[in-house]
Amino acid sequence: MASFTPYSYIQCPCFDATGQARPSDESPSASSSDAPESDDDHAFDPRSPRSNYSLYPIEHLLYCVDCNQIRCPRCVAEELVTIYCPSCLFEVGSSSVKTEGNRCTRSCFQCPVCIGPLAVQSLEPAPESSSLLTADNAAPPAPGPWALCCSYCNWSSSEIGIKFDKPQGIFGQLAKIRDGDGHGDISVAAVDAAPTKKSGDAEADSTKSRFALMRSFYQSQLANSNSTSSGNLSGTLGEYGYGSPTALSRIMSLYSGNGLAALKPKSRPTEIREADSFKDGFRPSNLDESSSISALRENGYDGTVTNSQATSQVDEGARFVEDLWPIPHLLRSKRAKRCPVCRHILSKPEAKVNNTRWRIRLVAGNYIPSISIKPLNPTDTPGLPVPDTSSLTLTPLKPTQYLLTFKNQMFDQIKVTLATPATTPGRFASRVTVLCPQFTIDANAEDYDINEALKDDRRQDKEEAAPQVEAGKPWERGRNWVSIVVEVIPSSLRIEPKPAILRKPGEAEDLGPLKEDEDILEIPMFVRLEWESEAAQDQVGSTASKDKEAKEKRELAYWCVLGLGRISQD
Amino acid sequence: MASNKRQSILPRVQAGPKAPVNFSSSITIADTAILTGNHTINISSDSVIHPRSKLDSSGGRVTIGRRCIVHERTHVGAPGPAPPSSSASFGVLLEDYVTVEVAAVIESGETTIAEGCLIGIGARIGKGAQLGKHCTITAKSVVSPGERVPDYTVVYSNGVRRLDKRGVNDLKNKAQARQIEVLRRLIPSNPAKFKD
Ligand SMILES: [Zn+2]
Ligand SMILES: [Zn+2]
Ligand SMILES: [Zn+2]
Ligand SMILES: [Zn+2]
Repeated sequence: MASFTPYSYIQCPCFDATGQARPSDESPSASSSDAPESDDDHAFDPRSPRSNYSLYPIEHLLYCVDCNQIRCPRCVAEELVTIYCPSCLFEVGSSSVKTEGNRCTRSCFQCPVCIGPLAVQSLEPAPESSSLLTADNAAPPAPGPWALCCSYCNWSSSEIGIKFDKPQGIFGQLAKIRDGDGHGDISVAAVDAAPTKKSGDAEADSTKSRFALMRSFYQSQLANSNSTSSGNLSGTLGEYGYGSPTALSRIMSLYSGNGLAALKPKSRPTEIREADSFKDGFRPSNLDESSSISALRENGYDGTVTNSQATSQVDEGARFVEDLWPIPHLLRSKRAKRCPVCRHILSKPEAKVNNTRWRIRLVAGNYIPSISIKPLNPTDTPGLPVPDTSSLTLTPLKPTQYLLTFKNQMFDQIKVTLATPATTPGRFASRVTVLCPQFTIDANAEDYDINEALKDDRRQDKEEAAPQVEAGKPWERGRNWVSIVVEVIPSSLRIEPKPAILRKPGEAEDLGPLKEDEDILEIPMFVRLEWESEAAQDQVGSTASKDKEAKEKRELAYWCVLGLGRISQD
Repeated sequence: MASNKRQSILPRVQAGPKAPVNFSSSITIADTAILTGNHTINISSDSVIHPRSKLDSSGGRVTIGRRCIVHERTHVGAPGPAPPSSSASFGVLLEDYVTVEVAAVIESGETTIAEGCLIGIGARIGKGAQLGKHCTITAKSVVSPGERVPDYTVVYSNGVRRLDKRGVNDLKNKAQARQIEVLRRLIPSNPAKFKD
């Protein structure tokens, strides 16, 4: 069995918010009768499908210091700071993204076969000067034609018949070849020994060029019809596709009976024509697939594209290796994140592309204690490293103890209160006992003495060589951390019907086979933190001057899930 | 030669015996290259053997063609997983213009690398494999023992294969010749050390 690492996930409060905001989501018939007690005291079930969307490891969470609340990637509001190309690291303005699209236009391409970066290479050897003896002279510019080559899988754009006249402006050259607009340009490109695209169907091959043709066709049609029809309504509606006079009169007659027809008698405008030819951007679907079949026969499976290759293409519809075009690099963005409630910035990266630092970053790890889990082996002395028990499984019905270590990163002392349901939710109810549900963790003070701390640790190693598992007492404590013991009695994974006495009336029992990860012992745990910190900075004028040491009591409560281990199945 | 008799009697020595060599006069071989084994190691004209590369002829004759480059920490003629069979008529044959990149391993036992192949960094060519012309074995790729790889094959991305249709063989060979020119000036050659 795969090894198992204990984990702790924390629930973001946005879980509740969506539940309350949209109660109508739940179908009233089934769920309301099944679970009438969706109260506050209803324990959170980490296995419910919705929990997947609100549980995060602490590293993924942010923290709003104004709301005193955890914020997750799902609920924060994002804002674009910078758009850039990950390949050339050039910043792209948002206006040019709107006009040019979301791909790099500075000749950054990815290999369509293996997504490696493509480089421009000459297809002809450099001139004679590159004889063997003058090898490392400043190589004179090699003559064209040029091609994009992948240095990893050796794909080359010459394989699909694309060669370039000059090594600069590849994006523009490629767009010309692809879109086939400006026939003059193509012929210029084809002047040299570089016949650009193999066949004559380059005319309107790409979706983009067909869209452009079709749009210009319909615009001209609409302009014609608008000029002929006297109705000024169709001018404004034309943009919305109601420009067809027949459609318009049909709509108008809905509202005004025959009024419109009476007003404008028999000025029947010219009907607009639908696109029906190649130059209108119209392309009938090719039902004759014999060429595809023969291509398949010729090149076999290797000649077809893989699913991921097809989806990474800019234009859809690639089926054969010959249809694969170089992929211009997708642009990326740096984003700032705001609290969804108070709109305060939670994280903001530096705007410069090359700078990977953050201006603001309020990570939850600095505000709520981290929880680490390890199995407690009473025979071990705590000083020794615990043998790797992470791969071991839990034996059903055998009490097992785990050590939870809470580490406080705040500069204030916090009081922690824990609560768990007596048995874990789900089909296999394991018993859970937190031996010390209430404790305080000392502050992560900056001004501690390192020698003092070390002495502390050493003394603890010596004196408490074998701390006792005792209810109500922490197992071990350090400068800014506390370990407590949790005892679990894993349930048996045998699937058998409950005795009739225990069954609730009308309860449907699930006797299906073990589902994925159902053997993991997961404990939902409610954590409540209380601490006193300096009063909020906002009221500097009034309160702070009155009492500088004014402390404010704060609290934070959230659910988390502790995954302890797998229960063995026999 | 008497080498066949000796092979059966002598126990395997860790460092290996000094291999009988047959060098062309125009090769470049670094002082710290390791040539071991009891069969002949042939190196043809203009080839470059980098420092700390290991040519091992204990499993059979090793032949390196013209204008080959064997990089550092490579092991040409490595013993395969199975004990070397005495039936192998030669160990490793590299034809002309082959590049063996850093830390690549070519197992011994009639392993043939045809002209213009590139054996990438850390790649492993199994015993008895036969690579066709101008193949590219990308970094860390593995060619299993006895496999026949057709001409112009590119092995990449955990063993995916495709055909190299660039048609730049001349270009590649010229670049190789130029690289050898540069290497010749950078690597002090000491073929005498390996000759008796
Ligand atoms: Zn959230
Ligand atoms: Zn770019
Ligand atoms: Zn590639
Ligand atoms: Zn907030």
